[in-house]
Amino acid sequence: MTLLRRMGLPVVALVLVAAVLGIQVANGGGTFEPLQPADPCAERTVTSRADGIDGLTEQLVLLGIDGAACTLGVSREALTLELAQPGTRTDAEIDALREGLLAAVQRMKDDGTLPPASDLLDEALDNADLNGLLEAAIRAIPDSVVNAALKTDDVLTRAIDDLDLRAVLADLDSRDDLDAQIQLAITQAVKDSLTARVRDLL
Amino acid sequence: MRRAVAPLLAVTVALVLADSAVVTLALPDILRHLDASVAQVAWVLIAFNLVLGLTALPAAVVFARSQPRIISAVGIAVFAASSAWCAVAQSIDVLIAARCLQALGGALALVGCLELLVAVYGERRGVAVWVTAGVVGTAVGPFAGGVLTEVFSWQAIFVVQVPFAVLAVPAALAVAASPELVPDRDPPAVRPNLTLALLSAALTAALFLLVLLLVEGWRQSPGIAAVTVSVVPLAALAARPLSRLLRPTHEVEIATGCFLIAGGLAGLAFLPSADLVWTIAPQALVGLGLGLTVDRLTAQAMEMRLPRIRHAGWTISARHLGVVVGLAILTPVFTADLQDAQVPAQEAITALVLDAPLLPEDKISIAEALGDELSQQEGRVPDLSHAFATADLAPEEQPAATRLERDLDAQLERAATWAFRDSFLIGAGLALLALLTVVWPRRRVTR
Repeated sequence: MTLLRRMGLPVVALVLVAAVLGIQVANGGGTFEPLQPADPCAERTVTSRADGIDGLTEQLVLLGIDGAACTLGVSREALTLELAQPGTRTDAEIDALREGLLAAVQRMKDDGTLPPASDLLDEALDNADLNGLLEAAIRAIPDSVVNAALKTDDVLTRAIDDLDLRAVLADLDSRDDLDAQIQLAITQAVKDSLTARVRDLL
Repeated sequence: MRRAVAPLLAVTVALVLADSAVVTLALPDILRHLDASVAQVAWVLIAFNLVLGLTALPAAVVFARSQPRIISAVGIAVFAASSAWCAVAQSIDVLIAARCLQALGGALALVGCLELLVAVYGERRGVAVWVTAGVVGTAVGPFAGGVLTEVFSWQAIFVVQVPFAVLAVPAALAVAASPELVPDRDPPAVRPNLTLALLSAALTAALFLLVLLLVEGWRQSPGIAAVTVSVVPLAALAARPLSRLLRPTHEVEIATGCFLIAGGLAGLAFLPSADLVWTIAPQALVGLGLGLTVDRLTAQAMEMRLPRIRHAGWTISARHLGVVVGLAILTPVFTADLQDAQVPAQEAITALVLDAPLLPEDKISIAEALGDELSQQEGRVPDLSHAFATADLAPEEQPAATRLERDLDAQLERAATWAFRDSFLIGAGLALLALLTVVWPRRRVTR
């Protein structure tokens, strides 16, 4: 009787507490935490819902940020949040971002996921402010000739090299300024690529 | 009127002790309405408990030298007037000042009602009614506060107290009680009062933190949160039958109660999801522990000790200063943890937005809106629904955006739950300290 008075209630309490904690931990009670950022150095498959230049740009940016984050030793998410904040960028960040984007172009080329230049031409011409006659003439060029003259990876590499990433990041809030800068870099890259191609032929 | 006197006095005791935690569920509403910070709003609770804890003992001294019915009536009137003042407060500073005055009136009312209830019912029954009314008030307070906030507003919590307190003033004046002229014979019961203080701190952790987690972290309405935390008083009701069945000694009962509260708080620290169902079992443990300890400890601290009113003052001080200690320890911990949780939460949100199956321009539009929302959070869990409502999305993108919103809310719930973990564990530690004060070997008295 004394034993029951001494131990009955504590034993019931012990069983109840052990049962509650046991069931909770067995159902993930110790690990109900926010999503942990993935390792940016591990290869990630990226896709885009968009087609054409927008889709290509998104894939390059996602892969590029991964590469830059890996170089800087931070998570992709931490770097994205950092770049989204206004302020000056360090040389290390700019260099890492450029290297990341260049590595992304190389990876997509190696994967065979870079679209041929002819796939992007129509959209590029729609966005470009060209003379109507010139635009019609370019559209008339057969795809095989366009693809022989312009390599997507070459144009992208030149555009990334030319791009003032510091200015691009400063203009993240203004989509028009951002588009104008990228447009300018790509136009210049196309010109440079064609010039280099002609020079090679000569 | 004579029949209503004792119930009105008991209701006054319950109201004053309920006020210790009654605003807990209204805190998020007060926070928004009075544009206060989490730390400021915690003072709505701290101020009341601090003043009540500090003035209970001096109030007992005043009662020993004056007419209990007069001082009780004055205390209840001050409590009623300051409750009305709380209801019309337009700033957090005014509300805190009104709460201080409410606690001062409450201290006089609490101590006075003990004397008046003893005069009406006799020593044994009077003390029992006073203790029971206090436990009922403490246990039911958060539930009542949540329901009133949900149905009316946070001001309603204070408004409903006024008529009861106003009616209790003539009730107090109607009792013929004389001052208790007993010399200060017995020293305060240190051990039960210390256990009571530590348990009050732990129970504050259970109620205050759980309510904040439910309303601020998991975005539940005060009404839903009130129904959820009603598990605690319901489980407390089961404590007596369990105790009668197993017939433990008082020490075993109190020690087991402390252990159950610690176990319940540990359970709240390890919740497996943001589903309300998971809070039921840990709360039931806390409620069971509450039912086994608080009234038993209060009775132990006052039993056979004279003057009765002085020892009642000690138990009130112990309980409410315990609440203050609990809040003082826990508020900085969980506000800092909530701040620290912002980084993983923002990173999780960024990851989900980057990988969302949405068009790039929609991702950018949502990211910009989320950025604005997150920058305005000021240490609180943000409400992301506004960001999704303002984002200009094509109808075919809506299902993916809805999925993303749900996933982001789930990440915020995870971050909030994670942020409260350490505070619940500290609460469990306080309950274990209370257990230690019970099982610590007593000094042998040699004669």
